[in-house]
Amino acid sequence: MVQEHELEPETVDIGVNMGPQHPSTHGVFRMVLTIDGERVVDVEPHIGYMHRGAEKLSESMDYRAAIGFQDRTDYLAQFMNEQAYCMAVEELLELEVPERSEYIRVILCELNRVTSHLMFLGAFGIDLGYFGTSFTYGFRERERIQDIFEEVTGDRLMYAYFRPGGLAWDVPDNFVQMVRDVLPHTRQGLKDLDLLMTQNEIVAVRTKGIGAMSAEESINWGLSGPLLRAAGVDWDLRKDKPYSIYDRFDYDIPLGSHGDLFDRFLVRLEEARQSLCIVEQALDQLPDGPIMPEKMPRRLRGPEAEVYTAVEGARGEYGVYLVSKGGDKPYRLKMRSPSFCNLSALRDMTVGSYVADAVAILGSIDIVLGCVDR
Amino acid sequence: MPDEDSEKDAGASAGDQKEEETPAAAEQPEDSKVEQPPAAEQKAEEEEDARPRPPAGGIADLLAAAVAEALPGVKLEAYQGMTDVIVEVERDDILKVMSVAKDDPRLALNFLRCLSGVDQEEDGFEVIYHLMSLEKKHDVVIKTNVARDDAHVASVASVWKAANWHEREARDMFGITFDDHPHLVPLLLPEDMTDHFPLRKDNPLAEIEEWQGDELPEEGFGGSKTR
Repeated sequence: MVQEHELEPETVDIGVNMGPQHPSTHGVFRMVLTIDGERVVDVEPHIGYMHRGAEKLSESMDYRAAIGFQDRTDYLAQFMNEQAYCMAVEELLELEVPERSEYIRVILCELNRVTSHLMFLGAFGIDLGYFGTSFTYGFRERERIQDIFEEVTGDRLMYAYFRPGGLAWDVPDNFVQMVRDVLPHTRQGLKDLDLLMTQNEIVAVRTKGIGAMSAEESINWGLSGPLLRAAGVDWDLRKDKPYSIYDRFDYDIPLGSHGDLFDRFLVRLEEARQSLCIVEQALDQLPDGPIMPEKMPRRLRGPEAEVYTAVEGARGEYGVYLVSKGGDKPYRLKMRSPSFCNLSALRDMTVGSYVADAVAILGSIDIVLGCVDR
Repeated sequence: MPDEDSEKDAGASAGDQKEEETPAAAEQPEDSKVEQPPAAEQKAEEEEDARPRPPAGGIADLLAAAVAEALPGVKLEAYQGMTDVIVEVERDDILKVMSVAKDDPRLALNFLRCLSGVDQEEDGFEVIYHLMSLEKKHDVVIKTNVARDDAHVASVASVWKAANWHEREARDMFGITFDDHPHLVPLLLPEDMTDHFPLRKDNPLAEIEEWQGDELPEEGFGGSKTR
């Protein structure tokens, strides 16, 4: 007679290391999965491989010099970071940004949101297991917008174009035409990606019902941006805490309902389209005029105060907490990066799913490791 | 904010005005200060803690009412910062106050935007919580102070899970211990780096890291002649 317990094979949980050098981790990120068969029972994310101490370094630089670090945090949505930082300095020094600069900032930020989401849509296809097509579609369109950024700022990645009070220099004369020429291509590109992915069987099977997080949990974990909206929470800083001139445009905030990977994908796709609407309206309204305030101090000196400003970045709330003790340098600069907060919920999203889905879930958070580690 | 200081000063010097000034009533013309020179002495005394009051009926009043109901005896000090209302809370009360802030339906501060540490040198460390309510669309900053030689505060990870990583980061950078944190191990720094806190002010950057000139100095940095 065989004892009952002998029929049960003994199982051991296996620890699997992923990263830090792994294409699916979108940078230098390592996670240690504990798996039981194909199921993930625990995840321990390890970050900090890219920690460059930008917050500490900013304390030794004057307000303008620290702009460069903002590009190097979220390097796929640089303009939004610069915007948040410049807004913080502007609040501190009580600078008034000229209309023209506000419009140019909005146009560039929204185009930047599109490039960032195109990058996501391209890379997400790879995470889900069909290589190539979505990536090339995404990059083809991203490249056109990238060319505009290069034309305007002189750089392809680290723009450092916004300044406290306005912009470093005015845009080229053909800027409006350049953007108008690109918009139809971008629309077509988004349509291509929509046709390729939304009805795609691979995408449907790999994303629907996977990695879902409820609205309440999402708020508790401090998720923001497309992740929060995919869970059905109607929250967008552009609408709910309007900054800059976002209250002058007409656009929608796309919402999901399940908080799963499919909703996150759909929300980003629609958000990119809405951003193009904002760009069009801003181009129509773009006024002439100065790009910097008239009375701009040569040396920026803040009062003894603290400010917190936040923008709706491509990944969520990018906040800058700036403490000044007088003088021309920040006493403390904290960047509230959306990737950092969103990634902290990875464990709760992943536990219980399959190993293969862990890669897709990580991809759906759309992390930028420069932003996570700072 | 010099304007608000002088407003307050004008109110105090007028004497016959009421203590509780509404912001609108306090907007006395600047010249009232000029007419009464003795006010200058008074100003010097008050300068120390001249903190503008938060607007009446705002988040500070809501928080004060909710805390007074749920936690009698807990002291709050509220003032208007440049962009937010700032409320200072005693270190030992922080967890209780946070639970009220999140659970009280009038406040419903369900979203922890940001949690930061600040090194205030001889005044110890500050831990700053940026809270927001997605329903009520209001926000508030809560601050607490911990001593340098006794740098610990209760973890709020049980209130908002978002605090989990923020607190680990603050521990990494400032060495503030968050009591009852579920997993307080180094996050951004190496696993074995538990006794060195880079963002403390007594841990300055190297000379070469601060240097912003166009050309490297001939004599090199830190006594070294090598470039």
